[in-house]
Amino acid sequence: MSVVWVQVALAGVWGGLVAVERKAFLQAMLSRPLVAATVMGLLLNDVPSGLGVGLLLELFFLGTANLGAALPENDTLAATATSAAAGTITLASGAGSTPAIWSLAVLLFIGMGRVGRRADRLLEGYSARLARMALASAEAGDLTRAMRQNLWGMWPHFVVYGVLTSLCALAGFFAEPMLQEMPPMMVRGLAWAWPAMASVAAAIAAQGSHARRAPLYAALGAAAVTVTVVFFLLQERS
Amino acid sequence: MSAPDTALPWTVLLRVFMRSLFLQASWNPKGMQNLGLAYAVFPALERLYASGTAREEAVRRHLVFFNTHPYVAAAIVGGVVFHEERIARGEETPDKVVAFKAALMGPLAALGDGFFWLSLKPAAGAVGAALVPLLGLWAVPVFLVFYNLVHMLLRVRLYWLGLTLGDRLVEAVARANLPARGARLRTVAALCAGGLAAWLAVSFGANAGGAHAPLLAAGCLALGVASYVLVSRRVPNYVVLYLAAILAGAAGAFL
Repeated sequence: MSVVWVQVALAGVWGGLVAVERKAFLQAMLSRPLVAATVMGLLLNDVPSGLGVGLLLELFFLGTANLGAALPENDTLAATATSAAAGTITLASGAGSTPAIWSLAVLLFIGMGRVGRRADRLLEGYSARLARMALASAEAGDLTRAMRQNLWGMWPHFVVYGVLTSLCALAGFFAEPMLQEMPPMMVRGLAWAWPAMASVAAAIAAQGSHARRAPLYAALGAAAVTVTVVFFLLQERS
Repeated sequence: MSAPDTALPWTVLLRVFMRSLFLQASWNPKGMQNLGLAYAVFPALERLYASGTAREEAVRRHLVFFNTHPYVAAAIVGGVVFHEERIARGEETPDKVVAFKAALMGPLAALGDGFFWLSLKPAAGAVGAALVPLLGLWAVPVFLVFYNLVHMLLRVRLYWLGLTLGDRLVEAVARANLPARGARLRTVAALCAGGLAAWLAVSFGANAGGAHAPLLAAGCLALGVASYVLVSRRVPNYVVLYLAAILAGAAGAFL
Protein backbone atom coordinates (compact mmCIF):
# COMPACT_ATOMS: atom_id res chain seq x y z
CA MET A 1 0.00 0.00 0.00
CA SER A 2 1.36 3.41 -0.90
CA VAL A 3 -0.29 6.65 0.13
CA VAL A 4 -0.72 9.31 -2.56
CA TRP A 5 -0.28 12.48 -0.54
CA VAL A 6 -1.45 14.79 -3.32
CA GLN A 7 -4.87 13.11 -3.17
CA VAL A 8 -4.96 13.43 0.62
CA ALA A 9 -4.11 17.15 0.35
CA LEU A 10 -6.66 17.75 -2.43
CA ALA A 11 -9.35 16.05 -0.35
CA GLY A 12 -8.46 18.31 2.58
CA VAL A 13 -8.60 21.53 0.55
CA TRP A 14 -12.01 20.68 -0.93
CA GLY A 15 -13.30 19.48 2.46
CA GLY A 16 -12.22 22.79 4.01
CA LEU A 17 -13.69 24.96 1.25
CA VAL A 18 -17.14 23.38 1.32
CA ALA A 19 -17.14 23.52 5.13
CA VAL A 20 -16.80 27.31 4.85
CA GLU A 21 -19.47 27.48 2.14
CA ARG A 22 -21.87 25.40 4.24
CA LYS A 23 -22.60 28.10 6.80
CA ALA A 24 -20.12 30.97 6.81
CA PHE A 25 -20.28 32.17 3.20
CA LEU A 26 -22.84 32.16 0.36
CA GLN A 27 -24.62 28.85 1.03
CA ALA A 28 -25.16 28.13 -2.65
CA MET A 29 -25.41 24.40 -1.86
CA LEU A 30 -21.91 23.48 -3.05
CA SER A 31 -21.72 21.83 0.34
CA ARG A 32 -24.71 19.52 -0.27
CA PRO A 33 -23.64 15.84 -0.32
CA LEU A 34 -24.52 15.39 -4.00
CA VAL A 35 -22.23 18.25 -5.04
CA ALA A 36 -19.49 17.96 -2.41
CA ALA A 37 -19.05 14.21 -2.93
CA THR A 38 -19.18 14.34 -6.74
CA VAL A 39 -16.58 17.11 -6.93
CA MET A 40 -14.46 15.12 -4.48
CA GLY A 41 -14.76 12.19 -6.90
CA LEU A 42 -13.67 14.46 -9.76
CA LEU A 43 -10.65 15.68 -7.78
CA LEU A 44 -9.61 12.15 -6.83
CA ASN A 45 -10.20 10.91 -10.38
CA ASP A 46 -13.02 8.63 -9.24
CA VAL A 47 -16.31 10.18 -10.36
CA PRO A 48 -18.42 6.99 -9.98
CA SER A 49 -17.56 6.73 -6.25
CA GLY A 50 -18.31 10.42 -5.72
CA LEU A 51 -21.62 10.19 -7.52
CA GLY A 52 -22.63 6.91 -5.82
CA VAL A 53 -21.80 8.18 -2.34
CA GLY A 54 -23.23 11.65 -3.05
CA LEU A 55 -26.55 10.26 -4.26
CA LEU A 56 -26.98 8.08 -1.18
CA LEU A 57 -25.99 10.76 1.33
CA GLU A 58 -28.03 13.48 -0.40
CA LEU A 59 -31.11 11.33 0.14
CA PHE A 60 -30.13 10.28 3.65
CA PHE A 61 -29.67 13.87 4.82
CA LEU A 62 -32.41 15.45 2.68
CA GLY A 63 -34.69 16.39 5.56
CA THR A 64 -32.05 17.90 7.86
CA ALA A 65 -32.06 21.67 8.30
CA ASN A 66 -30.22 24.26 10.35
CA LEU A 67 -33.14 25.94 12.10
CA GLY A 68 -32.30 28.72 14.56
CA ALA A 69 -29.69 27.64 17.09
CA ALA A 70 -30.35 23.90 16.56
CA LEU A 71 -27.42 22.10 14.97
CA PRO A 72 -28.15 19.28 12.53
CA GLU A 73 -25.62 16.60 11.69
CA ASN A 74 -22.85 17.88 9.46
CA ASP A 75 -23.94 16.31 6.16
CA THR A 76 -21.08 18.05 4.33
CA LEU A 77 -18.36 16.43 6.43
CA ALA A 78 -20.13 13.06 6.10
CA ALA A 79 -20.12 13.50 2.30
CA THR A 80 -16.56 14.76 1.87
CA ALA A 81 -15.13 12.21 4.32
CA THR A 82 -17.01 9.25 2.81
CA SER A 83 -16.33 10.16 -0.81
CA ALA A 84 -12.66 10.90 -0.07
CA ALA A 85 -12.30 7.50 1.58
CA ALA A 86 -14.14 5.77 -1.28
CA GLY A 87 -11.85 7.53 -3.77
CA THR A 88 -8.66 6.51 -2.01
CA ILE A 89 -9.86 2.90 -1.53
CA THR A 90 -10.45 2.74 -5.30
CA LEU A 91 -7.06 4.31 -5.96
CA ALA A 92 -5.28 1.88 -3.63
CA SER A 93 -7.09 -1.13 -5.11
CA GLY A 94 -5.81 -0.27 -8.59
CA ALA A 95 -9.09 -1.55 -10.05
CA GLY A 96 -12.23 0.40 -10.86
CA SER A 97 -14.81 1.79 -8.48
CA THR A 98 -17.46 -0.71 -7.31
CA PRO A 99 -20.66 -0.57 -5.23
CA ALA A 100 -18.85 -2.72 -2.63
CA ILE A 101 -16.33 0.12 -2.13
CA TRP A 102 -19.12 2.70 -1.84
CA SER A 103 -20.91 0.55 0.75
CA LEU A 104 -17.75 0.02 2.78
CA ALA A 105 -16.98 3.75 2.76
CA VAL A 106 -20.55 4.67 3.74
CA LEU A 107 -20.67 2.12 6.56
CA LEU A 108 -17.31 3.28 7.94
CA PHE A 109 -17.59 7.06 7.51
CA ILE A 110 -21.23 8.16 7.53
CA GLY A 111 -20.87 8.71 11.28
CA MET A 112 -18.62 11.69 10.50
CA GLY A 113 -21.87 13.67 10.30
CA ARG A 114 -22.11 13.36 14.08
CA VAL A 115 -18.43 14.16 14.58
CA GLY A 116 -19.03 17.29 12.49
CA ARG A 117 -21.94 18.35 14.66
CA ARG A 118 -19.73 18.08 17.75
CA ALA A 119 -17.01 20.11 15.99
CA ASP A 120 -19.59 22.74 14.96
CA ARG A 121 -20.58 23.16 18.60
CA LEU A 122 -16.94 23.52 19.69
CA LEU A 123 -16.25 26.12 16.99
CA GLU A 124 -19.16 28.22 18.24
CA GLY A 125 -17.04 28.93 21.33
CA TYR A 126 -14.37 30.49 19.14
CA SER A 127 -16.96 32.62 17.32
CA ALA A 128 -18.34 33.79 20.65
CA ARG A 129 -14.82 34.98 21.56
CA LEU A 130 -14.61 36.88 18.27
CA ALA A 131 -17.96 38.54 18.96
CA ARG A 132 -16.73 39.69 22.39
CA MET A 133 -13.55 41.07 20.81
CA ALA A 134 -15.62 42.90 18.18
CA LEU A 135 -17.78 44.49 20.87
CA ALA A 136 -14.71 45.54 22.87
CA SER A 137 -13.09 47.03 19.75
CA ALA A 138 -16.29 48.92 18.87
CA GLU A 139 -16.46 50.28 22.42
CA ALA A 140 -12.85 51.42 22.09
CA GLY A 141 -13.67 53.17 18.81
CA ASP A 142 -11.66 50.81 16.59
CA LEU A 143 -14.47 49.98 14.15
CA THR A 144 -12.30 48.50 11.40
CA ARG A 145 -10.87 45.96 13.82
CA ALA A 146 -14.35 45.20 15.13
CA MET A 147 -15.64 44.46 11.63
CA ARG A 148 -12.63 42.37 10.71
CA GLN A 149 -13.49 39.88 13.48
CA ASN A 150 -16.37 38.63 11.34
CA LEU A 151 -14.04 37.19 8.72
CA TRP A 152 -11.79 35.53 11.28
CA GLY A 153 -14.67 33.19 12.05
CA MET A 154 -14.12 31.27 8.81
CA TRP A 155 -10.60 29.91 9.04
CA PRO A 156 -11.20 27.38 11.85
CA HIS A 157 -13.92 25.76 9.74
CA PHE A 158 -11.54 25.46 6.81
CA VAL A 159 -8.73 24.00 8.92
CA VAL A 160 -10.75 21.66 11.15
CA TYR A 161 -12.91 20.13 8.40
CA GLY A 162 -10.03 20.11 5.93
CA VAL A 163 -7.89 18.10 8.37
CA LEU A 164 -10.77 15.73 9.20
CA THR A 165 -11.44 15.10 5.49
CA SER A 166 -7.74 14.51 4.84
CA LEU A 167 -7.62 12.00 7.69
CA CYS A 168 -10.57 10.11 6.19
CA ALA A 169 -8.89 10.10 2.77
CA LEU A 170 -5.78 8.71 4.45
CA ALA A 171 -7.88 6.10 6.28
CA GLY A 172 -9.16 4.95 2.88
CA PHE A 173 -5.65 3.79 1.94
CA PHE A 174 -5.53 1.70 5.13
CA ALA A 175 -9.06 0.31 4.64
CA GLU A 176 -8.31 -1.05 1.18
CA PRO A 177 -6.30 -4.11 2.39
CA MET A 178 -9.34 -4.98 4.54
CA LEU A 179 -11.44 -5.18 1.37
CA GLN A 180 -8.77 -7.28 -0.36
CA GLU A 181 -8.78 -9.84 2.46
CA MET A 182 -12.55 -10.22 2.54
CA PRO A 183 -13.98 -13.48 1.18
CA PRO A 184 -15.79 -13.00 -2.17
CA MET A 185 -19.19 -13.69 -0.59
CA MET A 186 -18.71 -10.76 1.79
CA VAL A 187 -17.70 -8.47 -1.07
CA ARG A 188 -20.85 -9.58 -2.91
CA GLY A 189 -22.84 -8.80 0.23
CA LEU A 190 -21.34 -5.32 0.35
CA ALA A 191 -22.19 -4.82 -3.32
CA TRP A 192 -25.83 -5.72 -2.57
CA ALA A 193 -25.85 -3.42 0.43
CA TRP A 194 -25.43 -0.28 -1.72
CA PRO A 195 -28.76 -0.39 -3.62
CA ALA A 196 -30.50 -1.49 -0.41
CA MET A 197 -29.05 1.45 1.53
CA ALA A 198 -29.84 3.83 -1.33
CA SER A 199 -33.47 2.60 -1.38
CA VAL A 200 -33.67 3.11 2.37
CA ALA A 201 -32.11 6.57 2.02
CA ALA A 202 -34.74 7.43 -0.64
CA ALA A 203 -37.49 6.32 1.76
CA ILE A 204 -35.92 8.45 4.50
CA ALA A 205 -35.84 11.33 1.98
CA ALA A 206 -39.54 10.91 1.21
CA GLN A 207 -40.21 11.02 4.95
CA GLY A 208 -37.94 14.05 5.33
CA SER A 209 -39.54 15.92 2.43
CA HIS A 210 -42.02 17.49 4.92
CA ALA A 211 -44.74 17.09 2.26
CA ARG A 212 -48.28 16.96 3.60
CA ARG A 213 -49.17 13.62 2.04
CA ALA A 214 -45.63 12.36 1.58
CA PRO A 215 -46.49 8.60 1.60
CA LEU A 216 -49.10 9.11 -1.13
CA TYR A 217 -46.81 11.16 -3.39
CA ALA A 218 -43.84 8.85 -2.79
CA ALA A 219 -46.02 5.85 -3.68
CA LEU A 220 -47.23 7.61 -6.83
CA GLY A 221 -43.65 8.37 -7.87
CA ALA A 222 -42.59 4.80 -7.15
CA ALA A 223 -45.52 3.34 -9.10
CA ALA A 224 -44.90 5.55 -12.13
CA VAL A 225 -41.18 4.69 -12.24
CA THR A 226 -41.75 0.97 -11.68
CA VAL A 227 -44.29 0.74 -14.51
CA THR A 228 -42.02 2.72 -16.86
CA VAL A 229 -38.84 0.74 -16.09
CA VAL A 230 -40.59 -2.65 -16.25
CA PHE A 231 -42.21 -1.63 -19.56
CA PHE A 232 -38.83 -0.74 -21.08
CA LEU A 233 -37.17 -3.89 -19.69
CA LEU A 234 -39.91 -6.09 -21.19
CA GLN A 235 -39.61 -4.28 -24.52
CA GLU A 236 -35.85 -4.84 -24.54
CA ARG A 237 -36.32 -8.56 -24.01
CA SER A 238 -39.06 -9.03 -26.60
CA MET B 1 -13.74 64.63 9.60
CA SER B 2 -15.54 64.37 6.28
CA ALA B 3 -19.10 65.62 5.79
CA PRO B 4 -21.75 62.89 5.79
CA ASP B 5 -23.16 61.91 2.39
CA THR B 6 -26.73 60.57 2.58
CA ALA B 7 -27.08 59.51 -1.07
CA LEU B 8 -25.42 56.14 -1.28
CA PRO B 9 -23.82 55.30 -4.66
CA TRP B 10 -24.54 51.93 -6.23
CA THR B 11 -20.98 50.75 -5.52
CA VAL B 12 -21.64 51.04 -1.78
CA LEU B 13 -24.99 49.28 -2.13
CA LEU B 14 -23.30 46.49 -4.09
CA ARG B 15 -20.59 46.19 -1.43
CA VAL B 16 -23.22 45.90 1.28
CA PHE B 17 -24.96 43.13 -0.66
CA MET B 18 -21.72 41.24 -1.29
CA ARG B 19 -20.74 41.53 2.36
CA SER B 20 -24.17 40.23 3.39
CA LEU B 21 -23.09 36.90 1.87
CA PHE B 22 -20.76 36.62 4.91
CA LEU B 23 -23.65 37.09 7.35
CA GLN B 24 -22.91 33.89 9.25
CA ALA B 25 -19.10 33.93 9.09
CA SER B 26 -18.93 34.42 12.86
CA TRP B 27 -22.26 32.97 13.91
CA ASN B 28 -22.17 32.73 17.69
CA PRO B 29 -24.68 31.48 20.28
CA LYS B 30 -25.06 34.85 22.05
CA GLY B 31 -25.43 37.47 19.34
CA MET B 32 -25.96 34.93 16.50
CA GLN B 33 -25.65 36.96 13.26
CA ASN B 34 -24.92 40.29 14.98
CA LEU B 35 -21.33 40.52 13.82
CA GLY B 36 -22.30 39.51 10.28
CA LEU B 37 -25.01 42.18 10.05
CA ALA B 38 -22.73 44.94 11.34
CA TYR B 39 -20.04 43.77 8.89
CA ALA B 40 -22.51 43.86 5.98
CA VAL B 41 -23.88 47.36 6.57
CA PHE B 42 -20.54 48.90 7.62
CA PRO B 43 -19.69 50.40 4.16
CA ALA B 44 -23.04 52.25 4.22
CA LEU B 45 -22.50 53.48 7.79
CA GLU B 46 -18.99 54.64 6.89
CA ARG B 47 -20.47 56.72 4.08
CA LEU B 48 -23.47 58.05 6.01
CA TYR B 49 -21.75 59.10 9.26
CA ALA B 50 -18.61 61.08 9.77
CA SER B 51 -16.00 59.22 11.79
CA GLY B 52 -16.47 59.68 15.50
CA THR B 53 -19.32 59.18 17.93
CA ALA B 54 -22.17 59.09 15.39
CA ARG B 55 -20.53 56.31 13.36
CA GLU B 56 -19.59 54.36 16.49
CA GLU B 57 -23.15 54.55 17.78
CA ALA B 58 -24.49 53.44 14.41
CA VAL B 59 -22.19 50.39 14.41
CA ARG B 60 -23.03 49.58 18.04
CA ARG B 61 -26.78 49.50 17.35
CA HIS B 62 -26.15 46.69 14.85
CA LEU B 63 -23.92 44.68 17.16
CA VAL B 64 -26.88 43.64 19.32
CA PHE B 65 -28.58 40.24 18.97
CA PHE B 66 -29.73 39.49 15.44
CA ASN B 67 -30.90 36.23 13.92
CA THR B 68 -32.94 35.40 10.88
CA HIS B 69 -32.76 33.20 7.81
CA PRO B 70 -29.46 33.96 6.01
CA TYR B 71 -31.07 34.47 2.56
CA VAL B 72 -34.09 36.45 3.70
CA ALA B 73 -31.76 38.56 5.81
CA ALA B 74 -31.00 40.41 2.55
CA ALA B 75 -34.37 42.15 2.97
CA ILE B 76 -33.45 43.30 6.47
CA VAL B 77 -29.96 44.39 5.35
CA GLY B 78 -31.60 46.50 2.62
CA GLY B 79 -34.14 47.84 5.11
CA VAL B 80 -31.40 48.76 7.58
CA VAL B 81 -29.64 50.80 4.86
CA PHE B 82 -33.01 52.42 4.00
CA HIS B 83 -33.54 53.47 7.64
CA GLU B 84 -29.93 54.51 8.25
CA GLU B 85 -30.14 56.89 5.28
CA ARG B 86 -33.18 58.52 6.88
CA ILE B 87 -31.54 58.63 10.30
CA ALA B 88 -28.46 60.29 8.78
CA ARG B 89 -30.73 62.88 7.14
CA GLY B 90 -32.42 63.53 10.49
CA GLU B 91 -35.81 62.28 9.29
CA GLU B 92 -35.95 59.41 11.79
CA THR B 93 -34.69 58.54 15.23
CA PRO B 94 -32.27 55.60 15.64
CA ASP B 95 -34.85 53.53 17.54
CA LYS B 96 -36.76 53.11 14.22
CA VAL B 97 -34.08 50.89 12.71
CA VAL B 98 -33.78 48.86 15.92
CA ALA B 99 -37.55 48.31 15.97
CA PHE B 100 -37.53 47.44 12.25
CA LYS B 101 -34.99 44.65 12.80
CA ALA B 102 -36.68 43.34 15.94
CA ALA B 103 -40.08 43.25 14.26
CA LEU B 104 -38.98 41.50 11.08
CA MET B 105 -36.25 39.03 12.00
CA GLY B 106 -38.60 36.45 13.59
CA PRO B 107 -41.33 36.33 10.93
CA LEU B 108 -38.81 36.43 8.08
CA ALA B 109 -36.80 33.64 9.72
CA ALA B 110 -39.92 31.46 9.83
CA LEU B 111 -40.72 32.30 6.21
CA GLY B 112 -37.16 31.61 5.02
CA ASP B 113 -36.79 28.38 6.99
CA GLY B 114 -40.11 27.12 5.67
CA PHE B 115 -39.46 27.98 2.03
CA PHE B 116 -35.70 27.55 1.56
CA TRP B 117 -34.60 24.96 4.13
CA LEU B 118 -37.73 22.82 4.34
CA SER B 119 -39.03 23.10 0.75
CA LEU B 120 -36.60 24.32 -1.93
CA LYS B 121 -33.55 22.47 -0.56
CA PRO B 122 -35.28 19.05 -0.27
CA ALA B 123 -36.98 19.54 -3.65
CA ALA B 124 -33.77 20.52 -5.45
CA GLY B 125 -31.87 17.72 -3.71
CA ALA B 126 -34.47 15.09 -4.59
CA VAL B 127 -34.72 16.29 -8.21
CA GLY B 128 -30.92 16.33 -8.48
CA ALA B 129 -30.62 12.81 -7.04
CA ALA B 130 -33.44 11.54 -9.26
CA LEU B 131 -31.64 12.90 -12.32
CA VAL B 132 -28.41 10.99 -11.54
CA PRO B 133 -29.61 7.77 -13.26
CA LEU B 134 -30.57 9.82 -16.35
CA LEU B 135 -27.84 12.47 -16.58
CA GLY B 136 -24.99 11.05 -14.49
CA LEU B 137 -22.50 13.78 -13.60
CA TRP B 138 -24.64 16.48 -15.26
CA ALA B 139 -27.27 16.06 -12.56
CA VAL B 140 -24.99 18.09 -10.28
CA PRO B 141 -24.91 21.32 -12.36
CA VAL B 142 -28.65 20.94 -12.99
CA PHE B 143 -29.21 20.77 -9.21
CA LEU B 144 -27.02 23.83 -8.62
CA VAL B 145 -28.66 25.89 -11.35
CA PHE B 146 -32.19 24.93 -10.25
CA TYR B 147 -31.50 25.83 -6.63
CA ASN B 148 -29.44 28.96 -7.17
CA LEU B 149 -31.67 30.46 -9.80
CA VAL B 150 -34.40 30.70 -7.17
CA HIS B 151 -32.01 31.43 -4.31
CA MET B 152 -30.00 34.25 -5.91
CA LEU B 153 -32.94 35.89 -7.67
CA LEU B 154 -34.93 36.00 -4.44
CA ARG B 155 -31.92 37.18 -2.44
CA VAL B 156 -31.26 40.08 -4.81
CA ARG B 157 -34.96 40.92 -5.04
CA LEU B 158 -35.40 40.93 -1.28
CA TYR B 159 -32.39 43.22 -0.84
CA TRP B 160 -33.84 45.59 -3.42
CA LEU B 161 -37.26 45.52 -1.72
CA GLY B 162 -35.65 46.36 1.62
CA LEU B 163 -33.64 49.19 0.07
CA THR B 164 -36.57 50.79 -1.70
CA LEU B 165 -39.57 50.01 0.53
CA GLY B 166 -38.21 49.85 4.09
CA ASP B 167 -41.02 48.69 6.38
CA ARG B 168 -43.42 48.24 3.45
CA LEU B 169 -41.38 45.28 2.23
CA VAL B 170 -43.60 43.04 4.39
CA GLU B 171 -46.55 43.50 2.00
CA ALA B 172 -44.35 42.78 -1.01
CA VAL B 173 -42.95 39.62 0.61
CA ALA B 174 -46.47 38.49 1.54
CA ARG B 175 -47.54 38.86 -2.11
CA ALA B 176 -44.84 36.39 -3.16
CA ASN B 177 -46.93 33.67 -1.43
CA LEU B 178 -43.90 31.61 -0.49
CA PRO B 179 -45.70 29.15 1.85
CA ALA B 180 -47.99 27.91 -0.97
CA ARG B 181 -45.06 27.57 -3.38
CA GLY B 182 -43.12 25.74 -0.66
CA ALA B 183 -45.92 23.18 -0.24
CA ARG B 184 -45.75 22.42 -3.98
CA LEU B 185 -41.98 22.00 -3.82
CA ARG B 186 -42.30 19.55 -0.92
CA THR B 187 -44.67 17.46 -3.02
CA VAL B 188 -42.05 17.38 -5.80
CA ALA B 189 -39.47 16.18 -3.26
CA ALA B 190 -41.69 13.31 -2.09
CA LEU B 191 -42.54 12.28 -5.68
CA CYS B 192 -38.88 12.24 -6.73
CA ALA B 193 -37.73 10.35 -3.63
CA GLY B 194 -40.40 7.67 -4.17
CA GLY B 195 -39.55 7.41 -7.85
CA LEU B 196 -35.85 7.07 -7.14
CA ALA B 197 -36.46 4.36 -4.50
CA ALA B 198 -38.39 2.39 -7.13
CA TRP B 199 -35.73 2.91 -9.80
CA LEU B 200 -32.98 1.72 -7.45
CA ALA B 201 -34.98 -1.37 -6.49
CA VAL B 202 -36.00 -2.35 -10.03
CA SER B 203 -32.58 -1.74 -11.59
CA PHE B 204 -30.91 -3.65 -8.75
CA GLY B 205 -33.26 -6.61 -9.36
CA ALA B 206 -32.60 -6.43 -13.10
CA ASN B 207 -28.81 -6.29 -12.68
CA ALA B 208 -28.27 -8.79 -9.86
CA GLY B 209 -31.30 -11.06 -9.83
CA GLY B 210 -31.25 -13.13 -13.01
CA ALA B 211 -34.25 -15.43 -12.65
CA HIS B 212 -35.02 -13.94 -9.22
CA ALA B 213 -35.08 -10.35 -10.51
CA PRO B 214 -38.74 -9.62 -9.63
CA LEU B 215 -38.26 -11.06 -6.15
CA LEU B 216 -35.13 -9.04 -5.48
CA ALA B 217 -36.68 -5.82 -6.77
CA ALA B 218 -39.80 -6.41 -4.67
CA GLY B 219 -37.63 -7.15 -1.62
CA CYS B 220 -35.68 -3.94 -2.11
CA LEU B 221 -38.89 -1.94 -2.48
CA ALA B 222 -40.34 -3.60 0.63
CA LEU B 223 -37.18 -2.58 2.49
CA GLY B 224 -37.84 1.02 1.43
CA VAL B 225 -41.47 0.89 2.62
CA ALA B 226 -40.44 -0.71 5.93
CA SER B 227 -37.78 2.00 6.38
CA TYR B 228 -40.38 4.72 5.82
CA VAL B 229 -42.58 3.21 8.53
CA LEU B 230 -39.69 2.74 10.96
CA VAL B 231 -38.40 6.30 10.50
CA SER B 232 -41.94 7.66 10.91
CA ARG B 233 -42.03 5.82 14.25
CA ARG B 234 -38.88 7.63 15.35
CA VAL B 235 -36.43 4.75 14.84
CA PRO B 236 -33.09 6.54 14.22
CA ASN B 237 -32.12 6.84 10.55
CA TYR B 238 -28.72 5.28 11.22
CA VAL B 239 -30.26 2.17 12.78
CA VAL B 240 -32.52 1.71 9.75
CA LEU B 241 -29.63 2.21 7.31
CA TYR B 242 -27.32 -0.27 9.06
CA LEU B 243 -30.15 -2.81 9.42
CA ALA B 244 -30.81 -2.59 5.68
CA ALA B 245 -27.09 -3.00 4.94
CA ILE B 246 -26.89 -6.10 7.18
CA LEU B 247 -30.01 -7.66 5.62
CA ALA B 248 -28.92 -6.96 2.05
CA GLY B 249 -25.35 -7.98 2.82
CA ALA B 250 -26.51 -11.31 4.22
CA ALA B 251 -28.78 -11.86 1.21
CA GLY B 252 -25.95 -11.04 -1.18
CA ALA B 253 -23.55 -13.35 0.63
CA PHE B 254 -25.81 -16.38 0.93
CA LEU B 255 -28.28 -16.26 -1.97
